[in-house]
Amino acid sequence: MLKWFEQPEQESGNIVCSKVRLARNWSEYVFPSRLSQEQSKELLSKLGEGLKDLGDLDGRDYESAYLSDLTELDRRALQERRILNSSILEKKSPMSLLITREEDISLVLNGMDHIRIQVLLPGLRLAEALKTADQIDDYVNARFDYAFDEKYGYLTSFPTNMGTGMRATAMVHLPSLSMGKKFPAMLNDMGRFGVSIRGVYGEGRENYGALYEISNQKTLGRTEKELTDLVNKVAIQLNDQENQVREMSLKRHRLEREDEVYKSYGVMKYARRLTMKDAMTFLSQLMSGVCDGLVKLEEPCPVFRLMLGIQTANLQKLSDRPLGKEELDMARAAYLRSELPGIF
Amino acid sequence: MLCERCKIREANIQYTEVINGVRTEHNFCAQCAREMDFGQYSAIFDGEFPLAQLLSGLLGGEVPAQKKDHLKQIVCPTCGTTYEEFVNNSCFGCADCYGVFDLLIQDNIRQLQGSDSHKGKRPVYRSAPEPDLEAGEEDGISQGREDSPEAQIRMWDRKLKEALRMEEYETAAVCRDKIRELKGGDQADA
Ligand SMILES: [Zn+2]
Ligand SMILES: [Zn+2]
Repeated sequence: MLKWFEQPEQESGNIVCSKVRLARNWSEYVFPSRLSQEQSKELLSKLGEGLKDLGDLDGRDYESAYLSDLTELDRRALQERRILNSSILEKKSPMSLLITREEDISLVLNGMDHIRIQVLLPGLRLAEALKTADQIDDYVNARFDYAFDEKYGYLTSFPTNMGTGMRATAMVHLPSLSMGKKFPAMLNDMGRFGVSIRGVYGEGRENYGALYEISNQKTLGRTEKELTDLVNKVAIQLNDQENQVREMSLKRHRLEREDEVYKSYGVMKYARRLTMKDAMTFLSQLMSGVCDGLVKLEEPCPVFRLMLGIQTANLQKLSDRPLGKEELDMARAAYLRSELPGIF
Repeated sequence: MLCERCKIREANIQYTEVINGVRTEHNFCAQCAREMDFGQYSAIFDGEFPLAQLLSGLLGGEVPAQKKDHLKQIVCPTCGTTYEEFVNNSCFGCADCYGVFDLLIQDNIRQLQGSDSHKGKRPVYRSAPEPDLEAGEEDGISQGREDSPEAQIRMWDRKLKEALRMEEYETAAVCRDKIRELKGGDQADA
């Protein structure tokens, strides 16, 4: 069973994926931060029981697990694959996860809220992701009465989620735009439109791989559709601007661009050691090269899959023993040597 | 300590960010602090949006001292979240916290969210609203009768909200104690 990011039929554009997340709480219990261990377990078993036939809704197979039954490495790998966030990883009380094999639909139970529904699809498909999340939401709601207020909407643990409880996110690859001098100012400006943009991978203030996530900042006073439309619009705009810059550079410096892309490919194909930063930079080059038609991969392969593949927890998982920093760089290079498809 | 942004000048501004209850401290020089939009800066950190920090900043700053003492007494009767915890963590402990802290947060919510009322989806399925004597639901969650502890708690809760609205903090404290008492005697199925 291929995961959503492994499916080969994806078109190679700048918009990598779309995500919609709904935060909900069951009216019968206080919010997760106030639940005792015992109450958390009780809540989880009731939620688990109520949702055990969730697959009947859409004919999908859901696996369920207590997060505490997974290894630390598995949890970190789930974070790398955008299923869990870092606050969940730090949380100590009992939590569980319901997830399809494709990992496109997941529910985190007793995380920061009782129920968080997430739908993650390749490309720009926010409306579709919202529709799926909405159906699951109704299914859950038919079994569990939600904490809801006429004025404040869905009641959530954090004031930043109240109202719709929805966060819509589009992940966009902006390698050329992000090189521009005005880019940081532009990111700051986005707040005025009600969206927030942040780098996905990187350390400190440095971004690796030029991937950015655009999300709605506010959740109250606008409908789900208005919010997803907003994120959609900004994603398309950034995508268009990125393409304009790239077209220009292709016209003026085609040889340089080709050279960069092929060199990146060559290094990844043969290197024996690759740091995260270098590998992400080369993959970013390859991603835009494929997108602009400068190289063609022999077998269709979303470059984002490789970006996920070289993340630390995933490499650690593939190895049979814990890897040190040097060994990780070697494992990263080995992974790319074996996974990188041929080009023509 | 050097400023973590420019790494050149001495840091003299400390900025505490709370994301989902996790605290992170940052140190910046005055110049960098001026140049930065904190909301955006913190958006590069992982986790939820940092607007919650803004909320606690707003709440923490603007309340006059004598009023603050009154506010400090406010505790959510359902989950026990105190005013101080609420301000520090920017986190509601339960659905009832919204009612308890409502008056304190209204303006800030508007500032934070750009709106103060929900538009959008509503739950398709809802259990009966409070004053009704609905009999049990499918999975045996009973709504209780008029004189049941639950109904009394709701009654005192309404009084509590009203008292807070009128800024009658002593009455509010009485209501809160009543609610606590009722909850306390009813812990078996809480
Ligand atoms: Zn500085
Ligand atoms: Zn509460």
